[in-house]
Amino acid sequence: MGKPTGFMEYERELAQEAAPLMRVNHWNEFTQPLPEGKLREQGARCMDCGIPFCHTGKLISGMAAGCPIHNLIPEWNDLVYRGQWREALDRLHKTNNFPEFTGRVCPAPCEGSCTVGLNGSPVTIKSIEKAIIDRGFAEGWVKPEPPAVRTGKKVAVIGSGPSGLACAAQLNKAGHTVTVYERADRVGGLLMYGIPNMKLDKKYVQRRVDLLAAEGVTFVTGRRSANTFRRSSCLSNSTPSSCAAARRRAAICRSKGAS
Amino acid sequence: MPWELGLAETHQTLVLNNLRSRIAVETDGKLMTGRDVAIAAMLGAEEFGFATTPLIALGCVMMRVCHLDTCPVGVATQNPELRAKFTGDPQHVVHFMRFVAQDLRELMAELGFRKVEEMIGRTDVLEPKQAIAHWKARGIDLSPLLHRPDVTDDVGRFCQIVQDHRLDRSLDVKELLAIAEPALERGEHVHAILPIRNVNRVAGTILGSEVTRRYGAEGLPHDTIRIHFNGSAGQSFGAFVPKGITLSLEGDANDYFGKGLSGGKLVVFPPVQATFVPEDNIIIGNVAFYGATDGEAYVRGVAGERFCVRNSGVRAVVEGVGDHGCEYMTGGRVVVLGRTGRNFAAGMSGGIAYVLDEDGSFPARVNREMVLLEQLEEAYEMNELKTMIQHHATYTDSEVAHRVLGHWDEYVWKFVKVIPKDYKRMFEAIERAKRSGLGQQQAFMVAFEENMRDVARVGGN
Repeated sequence: MGKPTGFMEYERELAQEAAPLMRVNHWNEFTQPLPEGKLREQGARCMDCGIPFCHTGKLISGMAAGCPIHNLIPEWNDLVYRGQWREALDRLHKTNNFPEFTGRVCPAPCEGSCTVGLNGSPVTIKSIEKAIIDRGFAEGWVKPEPPAVRTGKKVAVIGSGPSGLACAAQLNKAGHTVTVYERADRVGGLLMYGIPNMKLDKKYVQRRVDLLAAEGVTFVTGRRSANTFRRSSCLSNSTPSSCAAARRRAAICRSKGAS
Repeated sequence: MPWELGLAETHQTLVLNNLRSRIAVETDGKLMTGRDVAIAAMLGAEEFGFATTPLIALGCVMMRVCHLDTCPVGVATQNPELRAKFTGDPQHVVHFMRFVAQDLRELMAELGFRKVEEMIGRTDVLEPKQAIAHWKARGIDLSPLLHRPDVTDDVGRFCQIVQDHRLDRSLDVKELLAIAEPALERGEHVHAILPIRNVNRVAGTILGSEVTRRYGAEGLPHDTIRIHFNGSAGQSFGAFVPKGITLSLEGDANDYFGKGLSGGKLVVFPPVQATFVPEDNIIIGNVAFYGATDGEAYVRGVAGERFCVRNSGVRAVVEGVGDHGCEYMTGGRVVVLGRTGRNFAAGMSGGIAYVLDEDGSFPARVNREMVLLEQLEEAYEMNELKTMIQHHATYTDSEVAHRVLGHWDEYVWKFVKVIPKDYKRMFEAIERAKRSGLGQQQAFMVAFEENMRDVARVGGN
């Protein structure tokens, strides 16, 4: 929502990036976060669209348009503009389990769908998202929140990439007892092994994994799931049991009849 | 309510009562494709309204900020920077309508119709979609919508009978045009006295249209055509009359007196032999000068309700008004030499009203949401008001006007000036800009820019 005239008053401004000659000295992230005043101006650029497209999340000719996880973008833009960071974080967490990942590595189809971007430069939605969650961690607002009630149902999640972790987080929030199986020696999948540190530092991945563990999710690494299920009594021990498979492992699971 | 329901019922009822052949039925509400038009025709419409979709074709993105002057695609804004972003073209709408027509043509060919008229009310070729499996669709029975009234073939299913407005029997066509011939042809002064009855509606309007047709918006010089009527005038006396025509009426008039007045002059006063007190009795009906843009009017007596609603330029003098006087007024001057009804000046955003408030009770009857009540202060303003009342006295021989003018120094303080807050601020801004040496047009623009973002705007930002 922001300020009705914000998009006319402020220019789009992205976070400063370190000069290439400086970057070559290390493998770390090289963007400098925007100061708060600037961020609020960027939030003010959001136009209170009657029909916002940024949060729509649709495939158009096979391409993502708008946020695929339906982030309530106009709402937290407005909250940031008003300086209500805590509320913004709550709105962000409503739809997004890991804003610190998407705020860093998402290709931001929301910005591509932004109405200001029709004939100008879109709102810096991704930077704002990153700022909200970074501030949440800095202020200590993000804490482990184990479910109040356990359902007693056990779930195995195979693969600990972004979708496996999100799946685990949601099921755990619902009260199920979740175990995540990972073939590699560390949790995170693509986040841990695919994305370089300059884009998404491993410490942020580990921070979230630790948070999930504190909320009650069990992680098992170095285990090939298909073999595990065939040989072990993993499933038979879980009564009642269900098996949720993450994106990249789904095919394996079904072909082995594990689900 | 979806248009399908209302349309089907309207069409069926009109057919059952054998009235459909006299009326054109139009429907609108999210018509987007030829299929929508075909269904609307088969449910009984022959005219179809498109509004939002053509707007989208022009580049509207339904931001719903039309009232904020921040339209990012330059459709609904005054801001030159934003207007520069407008990418629309009339051709886009032309294309859109052509596509709709093409779509409809194809559907008609498929269904075997040659003309849209043939399709109207043909619900027998419509059938509910069977493929909808949603549980909410289970209890729906569309048969009343698709019902065709059982009437004989001579009952028309679409509009075939053109309405006879009987213009050839109107006062204008029968008498006024002939009387005004020298004025229309050669600009000579004409004067006539005629009787009038309440069956004579819109007296002067066709004459006015002739003047406009020949002399354009400028009209004729004031008082070129003067016509005096005796009797009771029907509705819309002097509606839309342009400059150059002066209509006076000795008697009274019905509703819509001077509706849309466009520069002409109207005078009404009771006959000399009338026994009643003019300033205590209603002489013209409701909704006088609705939407009038220019001209003068002098009414000796009380007007009904909604006097000068949406007036944007008429200078009128009246001796009392009913409820909702000067509602939504945007310009002009109104002098009320007597009591007003309640809710005076509701939504009034421009123009000034001067009300003679002898007993001090007027402020209680004003809707003060958008206006200020003030005293007259400037000498030029007092003179302006006095001149209007003098004209009123001259034209109508009003006793009230004579009394007020006779004791002017005393009465001038009894006038309450009703001025819209926004109008006043704008007025002052224009004056300021003019004093700084700008021309009229530039001063307008400077004042406009200055007020655009003013948080005090009652009319909304």
